[in-house]
Amino acid sequence: MQHSSTRQVLVGALVALAVGVLLIGGVLRVARLTVVRGATEQNAVVTAASVSQVLAQVRAADGDLQAVARGLVDRLEDVDRIRVIDSGKRLLAASTDAADLTAGEVPRRLGREEKAWFDQAKELEANHRTNISEGNARKDEILRMAVAQSQLELVLPLFAGDTVDGSVQVLTSAVVPRVPGPRLLPLAVVAGAFLVLVALSVLLKGRWLFAGGLVLLVVGLWAFAALGLAGLAAVRHDVEAAIAHHALEVRDAVGLEAPGTTLDITAWNVDRFGAPRGTFDRAGTVATETVDAGLAEGGRRFGQAAGLLGVFALVIYYWVGAGWTVRTWQALRKHHTAYGFVLPAMIGMIVLVFFPFAYGVVLSFTNQTLYNVNQPLYDLWVGIDNYIDILSDVAVWHTGEDGSRIINFQNFYWTLGFTILWTVSNVSIGVSLGLILALILNTKNLAFRPFYRIILILPWAVPNYITALIWKGMFHRQFGVINQVIAMFGGEPIAWFDAWHTSFFAVLATNAWLSFPFMMVVSLGALQAISSDLYEAARVDGASRWQQFWFVTLPSIKPALVPAVILSVVWTFNMFNIIYLVSQGEPAGATEILITDAYKIAFEQYRYGYAAAYSVVIFLILMIYGVWQNRVTRATEGI
Amino acid sequence: MSNRNETVGHVWLHLFLIIMVIVTVYPILWVLTVAFSGQQELMFVNLPADPSLWQRIRAVMPWPEQMSLQNFLDVFSQQPFGRWLLNSAMVAVATTIAGVFLACTAGYAFSRFRFPGRRAGMMSFLISQMFPGTLTLVPLYIIIVEWLHLGSNYLGLIMLYATTAIPFCVWNLKGYFDTIPRELEESALMDGASPAVIFWKIILPLSKPAVAVTALFSFMTAWNEFVLALTIMDKENMYTAPVGLRFFVGGYAEQQWGYFAAGSIVAALPVMILFLVLQRYLIGGLTAGAVKG
Repeated sequence: MQHSSTRQVLVGALVALAVGVLLIGGVLRVARLTVVRGATEQNAVVTAASVSQVLAQVRAADGDLQAVARGLVDRLEDVDRIRVIDSGKRLLAASTDAADLTAGEVPRRLGREEKAWFDQAKELEANHRTNISEGNARKDEILRMAVAQSQLELVLPLFAGDTVDGSVQVLTSAVVPRVPGPRLLPLAVVAGAFLVLVALSVLLKGRWLFAGGLVLLVVGLWAFAALGLAGLAAVRHDVEAAIAHHALEVRDAVGLEAPGTTLDITAWNVDRFGAPRGTFDRAGTVATETVDAGLAEGGRRFGQAAGLLGVFALVIYYWVGAGWTVRTWQALRKHHTAYGFVLPAMIGMIVLVFFPFAYGVVLSFTNQTLYNVNQPLYDLWVGIDNYIDILSDVAVWHTGEDGSRIINFQNFYWTLGFTILWTVSNVSIGVSLGLILALILNTKNLAFRPFYRIILILPWAVPNYITALIWKGMFHRQFGVINQVIAMFGGEPIAWFDAWHTSFFAVLATNAWLSFPFMMVVSLGALQAISSDLYEAARVDGASRWQQFWFVTLPSIKPALVPAVILSVVWTFNMFNIIYLVSQGEPAGATEILITDAYKIAFEQYRYGYAAAYSVVIFLILMIYGVWQNRVTRATEGI
Repeated sequence: MSNRNETVGHVWLHLFLIIMVIVTVYPILWVLTVAFSGQQELMFVNLPADPSLWQRIRAVMPWPEQMSLQNFLDVFSQQPFGRWLLNSAMVAVATTIAGVFLACTAGYAFSRFRFPGRRAGMMSFLISQMFPGTLTLVPLYIIIVEWLHLGSNYLGLIMLYATTAIPFCVWNLKGYFDTIPRELEESALMDGASPAVIFWKIILPLSKPAVAVTALFSFMTAWNEFVLALTIMDKENMYTAPVGLRFFVGGYAEQQWGYFAAGSIVAALPVMILFLVLQRYLIGGLTAGAVKG
């Protein structure tokens, strides 16, 4: 802990409290607006559902639909227009719209340009049937048509018994429930916490004051969030009561218009899928437990958000309170030339490397896809579900009906195992081939040495995407030159990408071809740097050639070889181009490595959140490897 | 080692080396053969239904039945390959300029100044090399395409490539700047020169070889890159050469191996020559960076 002055602690606490209150208060405000907007819509749903229920009963009793519809528009203040569609008979059964009536008396056949209404009714019918047959509610049973700002048009199913055979379109004007404004108590608590800190500053100094400020900050912000959430819950209860009250008013009005119908206000209180919300009973009494249960989920999410914002406020407090702002400012002034030189590159790195990395990590905790990319991440938060999904699926194979093992190539552990196999075999081949060639090229008095060297380095110079596509062509089943060679020796052509081991061979051959020159060049450089005195001494001591290699050559080239091996492990582990272009994961994703799998999840399945979690797992694997490697090869430190 | 043994041993070594040379050169001859065949087929010759052994051997000899430049002409006139090459060139040149500028200034500061955050900055550059491409790919796609609306646009790709190349270039240049004696700058400081003047007038002219290598590396990064271009550039006339070459043979449509081969040679030849000429410097920078990590 740095020395912190009383002033710094107080300023830090004040700034942190202000930021915390602004941010958490902002979240509360948005939540409050959402609740009110939802309640406004629910009022419209209640009204429209009452209309639909009444009209269904009138129709069943062969009453005059048009007259009742007109009466309802008169009696219900928030209903501006009613249209009834009978999809069975393709009729416009009733309408209070002046334009509809000038086009012809109702009931009448639907006109050609009115087909959209018939389609809506059919859609609702199909959705209702799906919801019933599946036993859950996931298809919309209430369609929302956006109209003007203060108006909402709802389309509801018109029931005949248990089945849908028409729709009711109800244009409603908004009934906004009245709710109490935000309370001042939470703000007062925060102000109180700050005043306590001011008082404390007389008694405490330095780090004790800083610690006291920390405690008061946590308590103050926690209290602010908790009181705000309680206020929000109260608002929620208020609006539910308002909706129930609205339902009772509607029932009274409808009862006057259509006496003798059975009116059930709980059947009007449904969500968009037609499932009852159950927030009040037939008498209009709010069911507190149901409302509270709905609040719990929202409260949990709010808690997470408030926690994050609180941590942010604490960081600010630490930064200011511990004197970091002052020192940051001083450092900036003192070293402004240096920072000026670093700034352009650093901005680029932050914007296009570090920020995307952090953003990717955040994404990995969401279920973002192409289709919800515009929604705020907060709404898509799924915690560690993606990671659990990826890591908990350990069923690499299942047993088929005939008792054979069927491998699930999409499984994470299969892909991980394949990636490790791919990396280990490639690096082993690369290192041994490169080392052998380097030893040969290092032979004294070997003829044509420069010629061999320049030829053998060629594969490194070819861009690897071109290499990949060339080998893909050479492994072509019908026309590929490798199958021609096999045919030349009298063999049968092989469908290289139809079985995972032949497919693996193909990508392995490709990668071996392009990766051995790097190892060769590194080894050759190291070999040439070994002093010939060492061999001289070894020969004098009677060492065999093998012993010379083992005790002189290998230890001498190890410092150059180890970093090269580490590099090529990381390169090969993430060697996207070869897999993506040569085998394309064939057959059935068996030869996918982790990085190509992640790419396909992101850009072929468009599951951004899941792909991000997959990539974080890859990153962690590489980190673990890096740490382990660092420990094992401690000998190379300090070079 | 006696001379007698040497000669006998060398025969085996040459034999092994010759096999390796054949394996190494064959794919390159293969692509040349397909390119100069004037056709789109993978086969070098048309085999009869029941070929003789000689015909089968002819079928794997990398030499076209007739020499033709048709593929080279067609890839520019019938296909938009010239446009793709131009896209690649624009992006690569701009990346080189931006990348070298950013790397030179940062590398100089890391080499010459001692300031808070210097070590953290350098380490963060190094660690950024471990980020898997796909982790940043999705956010980058969202940032470049959804937020900045720079999909299928030179600027988006240039920004991405320039920052991708920064860490290696900064480390490489910093290493070189470290070898320039400080006395040069100190005497200039005595004469009243500002840090900017020292950097532009003294350090940069002295570092031409290192700057050249950095420029080459930036250029090759941009010229050969495939995944980012595939993701960001989705309009056909904005493809870069790598994406375009894959377009010839990657899709479900008819595969045009002749165009691919001819285009590959045009796209790869400049960088291959550059690489072979300058490889020693690149390898030096690569291993030096790795050891420091």
